[in-house]
This record gives sequence, C-alpha cells and structure tokens, in this order.
Amino acid sequence: MKHKLTFLGLGALFGLILSRAGATTPDLYAGLFLFEDLQLLWVIATAIGVGLIGVQLLKARRARALLGGEEISYKGKPMTRALIPGSLIFGAGWGLSGACPGTALAMLGEGRLTALFVLLGITLGTWFYGLRRSRA
Amino acid sequence: MLDIVIWAGWAGGLAVGAFLLLQLWLTGKLLGVSTGFGNLCALGSKAKFFHTGDFTDPFNWRLFFLLGLPLGGLLGVLLSPEATFSWTLSLGPRYDSVFPSALWARGLILTGAGFLVGYGARLAGGCTSGHAIAGISLLNLPSLLASVLFFVGGIAAVQLLFWLA
Repeated sequence: MKHKLTFLGLGALFGLILSRAGATTPDLYAGLFLFEDLQLLWVIATAIGVGLIGVQLLKARRARALLGGEEISYKGKPMTRALIPGSLIFGAGWGLSGACPGTALAMLGEGRLTALFVLLGITLGTWFYGLRRSRA
Repeated sequence: MLDIVIWAGWAGGLAVGAFLLLQLWLTGKLLGVSTGFGNLCALGSKAKFFHTGDFTDPFNWRLFFLLGLPLGGLLGVLLSPEATFSWTLSLGPRYDSVFPSALWARGLILTGAGFLVGYGARLAGGCTSGHAIAGISLLNLPSLLASVLFFVGGIAAVQLLFWLA
C-alpha cells in the first residue's frame, strides 16, 4: 500500500511539472507543429539532455532503487514492424488533440473538460488494440 | 485558469528530466504513461491481452501513477497565484480558431484524435514520456525513431488541419 501511495504522489508531482512546463496547455502543441512557439521542443530537448547524463551517472554508480533496493530498469523498448505506422498515428493524434497520454490526465485536473474526450479516445484506442491482440 | 504559471521551456525540461531520474532512482521504474491506459481497460475488459504480460496485475504502480496525474494538474492551478480553478471547454486561440465550437463536434474530433493517440501508442510501444523522454535518455534507437516519427505525424496532421480550416 505504501508503494501505491508513493506512485500516486509521483504521478501528482509529474502532473504538476507537466503543467509548469506548459505541456498541459493545448495551444502550445499547435504552436509547436506550426513552428510558431517552440516551448515544448525546448522542454523535450532539455529533459532528454538531463536524462541522458543522469542515466549514465546512475549506471556508473551501479545504483539500486532507493525504495526496496530492486534493480533499476534500463530496458529499452524493442524495434517492431508496428512501431513505424504506430508512431505516425500517435503523432497525428498528438497534434490534433493537443495532448498526450500523461498531459491529458493532468489537463483534466486543471479543469480542461475537453481532456475528457481525449481520455475517452485514448482508452478506446488502447481497448481496440487489446481486442485485436486478444483475437490474434 | 488561463493564468497558470508556465516556466521557460528549458526550466520545464530540466524539471521533467529531473523527475525521470528521481522516479528511476527511487523506484527503479522507467517513466511511461500510455501503458497505464491498458490497466484502465483491464478493469472493465475480460480480453486476454489486458490480463497477461504488462497487465497481469492491473493494480500495479502504473494505475496509481495515472491517478496521481490529475491531482498534479489541480495543484498546478492552486499553486498559481493569478489562477482560480474553473471548468473550461476552450483549447486556446490556435485550436479554437479551427475547431467547431459546437460541443458535440469538438468532442467527436477530440475523441477521434485521442483514439489515434491510444492506438498509435500501443502499436509503437510507448508515448512521449516512454519513447521520447525515457527511451532517448537510454540511447535506445527504436525510441529515437519513434520520437522522430511522432513529430513527423504531428507536423503533418497539424499543418493539414490549419491549411484546410
């Protein structure tokens, strides 16, 4: 149970950070893809820079998880045939909705009711994928 | 609502990157959000896919992480001195200028766009957080490819939307 509260807290912290970063402001997505306002590009680029350095440091220290001491996961996602069309489809939805899975949830907490539609869609899309995979 | 504090892009990115590392060091778990929507599906679906692999335990950390995110959005408003909480249907000037204002039509477009996000993320194996931020931080090449294609899809769809409108 403690572990579940930890992740609830981490989710809240990440939601707050996404809000401060402008990632919960839908207009900044249109601004990004129209090349009018690159706020979110700087957010992503800086985050990757920090992540790259930090992951190397954690690996070099052979760090283990501070809570529970389990091994830290550095497992990258695999290359698949579906990755290419999937990424293009995701990108189109990202731009048209002005949101991504994490930010849509944080947007709802900010009072953006339109996020409910996006969240419904994300859940339906995930569900549709799961049904197809369950039949195959 | 529209007066929430937004930091400079680099500062926001610094915080997102630091968060990735905090979660990784604290819990050993790599940042990722979209898989958690499968946990939500597992709560209401008997389909095999939602009860095997990543979803063997639908009440794992991903579900609680997802539930925390809206709380963070609310905090974002409450901790902004100039903002007060209120519900809004506006997406801001850019989208409002091209999307219909009728709620049903706007809702239909956003549900459809969300569907692409959810379906695309599962096909691709992750979303902005899992592929772009966590994946590239690991120097994982499939994640780099996915992230480039996220941008290609986003640019194409939004340029087309604003050109048609």
